[in-house]
Amino acid sequence: METFVQLVLNGLMLGGLFAIISVGLTLIFGIIRLVNFAHGELLMVGMYLTWLGTSQLGLHPYVLAPPLVLVLFVIGVLIQRFILQPLLDARDAHVQIFATVGLSTALINLALLVFGADLYATPSSGVRDSLTFGPFRILIGQLVMFVCGIVVVGALHLFMERTYLGRAIRATAQHRAAAQLMGVDVKRIYIITFGIGAACVGLAAALVAPIYPASPTVGTYFVLTAFVVVVLGGMGSLHGAFIGALLIGLVDSLSAFYIAPDLKEVVIFGLFILILLFRPTGLFGLGRGSE
Amino acid sequence: MSDLALPAARAPRRPDRGLVAALALLPLIFLVPLLIGDDFVFHVFITICLYGALATAWNIVGGFAGQLSLGHAIFYGIGAYTAGLLVPLGVSPWLGMLGGAAISAMVGVAIGLPCFRLRGPFFALATIAFLQVIRLLALHFTGLTGGAVGLMVPLQTGWEWMIFFERWPSLLIAFGLLLLTLGVTAWLRHARFGYYLVATREREPAAAAAGVDTLRVRLYAVALSAALTSMVGTFHGMYLTFIEPEAMFSLAFSVQIAMFALIGGIGTVMGPLLGTLLVVPLTELARGWLGASALGLHGFVYGTVLVLIVLFVPDGLVGLFRRAPKGSADAAEPAAPATVPATAREDIRREIGEPILVAEHLHKHFGGLAVTQDVSLSLRQGEVLGIIGPNGAGKTTLFNQLSGFLAPESGIVRIRVEGEGFIRPATPHAFARAGVGRTFQIVQPFAAMTVLENIMIGAFHHHPGRAAAREKALETAHRMGLWAQRDVEARSLTIGGLKRLEIARVMAMEPRILLLDEVMAGLNQTDVQRAIRLVESIRDSGVSIIAIEHVMQAIMALSDRVVVLNSGRVIAEGRPQEVVRDPVVVEAYLGEDFVHAHSA
Repeated sequence: METFVQLVLNGLMLGGLFAIISVGLTLIFGIIRLVNFAHGELLMVGMYLTWLGTSQLGLHPYVLAPPLVLVLFVIGVLIQRFILQPLLDARDAHVQIFATVGLSTALINLALLVFGADLYATPSSGVRDSLTFGPFRILIGQLVMFVCGIVVVGALHLFMERTYLGRAIRATAQHRAAAQLMGVDVKRIYIITFGIGAACVGLAAALVAPIYPASPTVGTYFVLTAFVVVVLGGMGSLHGAFIGALLIGLVDSLSAFYIAPDLKEVVIFGLFILILLFRPTGLFGLGRGSE
Repeated sequence: MSDLALPAARAPRRPDRGLVAALALLPLIFLVPLLIGDDFVFHVFITICLYGALATAWNIVGGFAGQLSLGHAIFYGIGAYTAGLLVPLGVSPWLGMLGGAAISAMVGVAIGLPCFRLRGPFFALATIAFLQVIRLLALHFTGLTGGAVGLMVPLQTGWEWMIFFERWPSLLIAFGLLLLTLGVTAWLRHARFGYYLVATREREPAAAAAGVDTLRVRLYAVALSAALTSMVGTFHGMYLTFIEPEAMFSLAFSVQIAMFALIGGIGTVMGPLLGTLLVVPLTELARGWLGASALGLHGFVYGTVLVLIVLFVPDGLVGLFRRAPKGSADAAEPAAPATVPATAREDIRREIGEPILVAEHLHKHFGGLAVTQDVSLSLRQGEVLGIIGPNGAGKTTLFNQLSGFLAPESGIVRIRVEGEGFIRPATPHAFARAGVGRTFQIVQPFAAMTVLENIMIGAFHHHPGRAAAREKALETAHRMGLWAQRDVEARSLTIGGLKRLEIARVMAMEPRILLLDEVMAGLNQTDVQRAIRLVESIRDSGVSIIAIEHVMQAIMALSDRVVVLNSGRVIAEGRPQEVVRDPVVVEAYLGEDFVHAHSA
């Protein structure tokens, strides 16, 4: 029983990590209707930047979070403006996917060129110490991620519901042409949305780096799970992504223990295929999953 | 435009300059390394052949079928492992190649069957998920695959074992595989199968209405693509003499294959090879100069080139070779488009025969909304049946049930087929095979195909050969006033042109029963007159017609009988002149108040 509770705790904490990575992805997915295959590589860039900041400048990784959020916002804006926006009216909807796949491949290999295939571990700075609650243990860093995940989802939700810009973003998501007719500058909305989505990854990178070492393919590892989370939660749904992340975290933790550590991803991807086939709108989707 | 006579168009089109250039270059891929004789050059050219073949095979699914697979390494790995596991048992890799191809084709069908209803990114994600599952399972079951340690292929040399001391036999095999995939793709491009594949990609419902079994066509495509990919995988496994799950079932590798095709131009025969020819030498040379420090360089170049291509040459490298579209849409139309052949025998009285299409007690709900309630109707041989009703009456939904696009919740649709009696088709293509042709209210052109190719999709229904279908399509294009635009891509037609194309495609099918969904909507007066004469001529050629129409002038002129729908029910039926005076009908259209005001 104690093992089970500990596994559930681990799963929820892992879910917090997935949540903070998936939030930006679901935002871009739901609003720009773009499957950003380069999302994981943004995380990877952020993690290398965190490593640089901590090991070269001696800063605490969490201190780097605000500048990273800013830097990734700018990177996101540039990607949307100069790579994806010109493809907005492309006659083949696949073209944008090609662009993000190309970007992803280029970034992974750029990292390989610059840093090589070695792992770069950001100093843990006390983040990897654990808190004990009776017989149970949680890493401080994981708890911080879990709390940040809730805060980010909550803040984005308020932003989307309460501000003019948030409403414009939601309107654009629901009907691009109609929003345009109502005077919404759709291109600007897309740029901002991609920026916000990337900025979420900036925060995620600062929080993840002290726990997982950076490597060129670290993004691929996380983003595939993030896609599972986003589709499970329903594309574009913020709270869906959060709940989906917790569920996948639980599945990950429990199947690693009760089935086999190297088969946990088989369970997750198997689940993913089942969701795609039988409920492509996810748990909280808007009913347009196959669009 | 003076060449109005049909035969002029039969002259073979001049082949693309790009294609000629590519064909001239092809032997060089084999000859250059033989002449230079350098090991590194051999390696580069074998790599080109391998990737060229893989990208060409991928293109059958990713380009022609338009399904973005990022999991093709599954088949590559199956090919390598099947042969690699059989060699220690004394089985030649040539047999392993065939076995692997068969297994891959089956796996491809098993994955495609549930996944082909997913679109765009969702299909891509599903293929990635399958690849991950297979890779992880391959790593887990170490007894079979060697797990992370991998498998060494026993070093037996000679043709029987596909492993050689010299370089040239490997090059010969790789080049042969490249030619095989190119040959298959070139055949496909010009066969009915290829046309069906592209039509399915462009507009699935319209393809189904033209009699294409869209799922089956896609499954054939994935089986073919998987088998070819697997064969290349077998050879590559023998060439490397080492097989491991991480390399064989790699996502990055899958993405790379797709990238070569995208860079060169998907959906074309030569594109994938062209892309490979550009980027492989570029990166291999750079790697040769920079040595080990260039880890990741090739991937960086591939990714960057892909982004640049997507931004600046969206059709891929092939797009650079293509001339501007031939024959612009502004060319003068032939003298007498879309008119009745003067031979229409007006003196012969049409005979209305036995029922040919019968619908009985159809019911259909969308959520809580009953869109079809107990609708029964029958169409008789040689008859024109008009269906009218206010917007939202359920006319198009009824059509969808009469053509297999929607299954009624209860009730049946029967079609009488010569020599077979009444049958009950279930799918759109089965209806098409039973002789039912339909148009769509919202036109559904195959946008990337030319007007002539659009019509050919219909013509293939009775003329499986390309030449015969083309003949039939040319004749139909002429008759429908689309002659001048025959080589224009359908996307550049005007709405009037698209409507004519919609009818042309269905007429080329030579249907016995024709369902017309508002073909006159949005046409000007002259065009309406033309269209009426056209429908009359179709009717006089022995086709039975059901027409949904809002243009009353057309309904009154054409219909032998009219059925009025309102709120999913048949509220009136009879001769057109009687039906329009029926108070129930007037009320349905104009409201109760209008009826009272006029009866007062």
